[in-house]
Amino acid sequence: MSDTPIIDLKNLDKRFGKFTAVSNVSLSLRQGEFFSLLGPSGCGKTTALRMIAGFQEPTSGQVLIDGQDMSRIPANKRPTNMVFQSYAIFPHLNVGDNVAYGLRGRGVSRAEIKQRVAEALEMVELGGLQSRRATELSGGQRQRVALARALVMRPKVLLLDEPLSALDKNLREQMQFEMRHLQQSLGITFVMVTHDQYEAMTMSDRIGVMFNGELVQVDAPNVLYARPRNRAVANFIGGMNFLPAEAQEANASHLDVTMPGFGRMQIEQNPNVTDRGGQALVGIRPEQLEITSDRPADYDAVAKGTVRDVAFYGENVHYHVRLDGVDTPIAASVPNYFHSIDFKPGDSVWLGVQSASVIDLGRDS
Amino acid sequence: MKRANGLLIYTTLYLAFLYLPVLLLPLFSFNDGTIVAFPIKGWTLEWYRQLGAQDTLLNSLVNSLIVGVTTALLATSMGLFAARAYVRNRFPGKAASEGLVMLPLVIPGIIVASSMLVLFISIGLKPSLTAVILGHTFLALPFSVSIMKSAFDDFDASLEEAAYDLGSTVMETFRRVTLPVVAPGIVSSFLVTFTVSFDEFVLAFFLAGNEPTLPVYIWSQLRFPAKLPNTLALGSLLLLASVLLLVIAEYFRRRSTSKSA
Repeated sequence: MSDTPIIDLKNLDKRFGKFTAVSNVSLSLRQGEFFSLLGPSGCGKTTALRMIAGFQEPTSGQVLIDGQDMSRIPANKRPTNMVFQSYAIFPHLNVGDNVAYGLRGRGVSRAEIKQRVAEALEMVELGGLQSRRATELSGGQRQRVALARALVMRPKVLLLDEPLSALDKNLREQMQFEMRHLQQSLGITFVMVTHDQYEAMTMSDRIGVMFNGELVQVDAPNVLYARPRNRAVANFIGGMNFLPAEAQEANASHLDVTMPGFGRMQIEQNPNVTDRGGQALVGIRPEQLEITSDRPADYDAVAKGTVRDVAFYGENVHYHVRLDGVDTPIAASVPNYFHSIDFKPGDSVWLGVQSASVIDLGRDS
Repeated sequence: MKRANGLLIYTTLYLAFLYLPVLLLPLFSFNDGTIVAFPIKGWTLEWYRQLGAQDTLLNSLVNSLIVGVTTALLATSMGLFAARAYVRNRFPGKAASEGLVMLPLVIPGIIVASSMLVLFISIGLKPSLTAVILGHTFLALPFSVSIMKSAFDDFDASLEEAAYDLGSTVMETFRRVTLPVVAPGIVSSFLVTFTVSFDEFVLAFFLAGNEPTLPVYIWSQLRFPAKLPNTLALGSLLLLASVLLLVIAEYFRRRSTSKSA
């Protein structure tokens, strides 16, 4: 990975009439990175992708690809190629002609086209299927043809618009790994748009989370999960318990918080919060909570409560615990070692948590 | 059971009323006699044989073919672009424009014909095949627009974006992707609009001047009882050709909708 950003978005804005689809998005992507834009539908992620591709012009702001300003360069001249959500396989062409489409327009020699098409199909494990008709392909095969058709152009950046949403669950998981491997072996920058947090987390080097047109947080998946910037991000990625707490600054990097049930502890301060007015919303992931029948030792804070509900998810079990003196139940998730832990509703339990697992989400907004 | 029988009788009568007169036409065209009445005197192909030797008939056939093909080309290409705009784009006045395009289906032909005659003469266009072509294009447009609209309805817009993304220019995208994908719709629209023009009488009667199309020629022949069997033979051939063309058109229309799904 080199230092020059392959994609540089500068204060990108897109408005449709009064509706702001993308608002002041700035982002730099490294060469060879697998980047995902993640967010609920209508958050502006697809619009952002289409501005990179050149299908939509920014209302203001700039798209730079490999240092070059794209403002006056139309989609057909940009060093990007796209895999569409519907795959957009040309129905009147066979697989080979679909993949060769872009090369034919470029005046590449017949022999070279033939060879590159064969290589591209080999790469997506469709070797030898050149003469298969487009209408005879399965969903997974269509996805592979779309990938091959874009990659055969050797783009600097491959753009993927919800590439796996049309596939069933098992195939989707398999394709996640295949696409990740393909991207790593080719070293091409991938920018993927998805609303599926698991897809984004399993495939990406970094994820940008978008809400209402704004890019709220850009981080590696593990950082995003461990240190979401605010309640919206925390809520969108993984499960999260939210607790209102009193907060006092302990030092430049830490806070003294007093949480209902758990009492006082010192936690890491969220550097993005400026004005908190003595309050903090804190988040705790359900799997970061220990649940025991006796008061647990070795935890930074413990709380006593009663099991209200038990939800069995197969690989883990969720206990909803009502803490003494707190209205909202807290969820604790425990891996299912064939019921080594087995609480019933009404059981008295203790919850334990380490201060590193308690996340400062700023003021509850 | 009784009710089902009643329905069956009704259906049979209904179909007979609709199609028996049409079937009489080819029947009497094989009749060895000039009077169109039962009993049939005998069977002959004479009337068909004589068709080939009549110059004015052949002239009007050529006129009809010229008008039909030109009308089909004009209406289909205009319908192609209009339909793409209707399906793909949003623009002010879209609904009004879509309604206006369909209007020729409901305006009485005689009104259209007389107003066009007035209009054409006032702008200096004499009754001629050109005038007929313009009139027929107007009449055929609703057909081509609705056929092309159904072709574009099933056309995934990202196909054109994909072509553009892969380096094609707008024109290249149209030629290499849009046209081939909607080709069955184009063929279907061409055949239907050709048939609309080929069978049209009122407009052609008003606008053709001294260059009659086939239906106008047939009408003029009805005045001569001796020519009637000839006209019947000709009519039977036209009937056959029309049905054939529409069947082929329907085949292509279905192909265009099933293919891109």
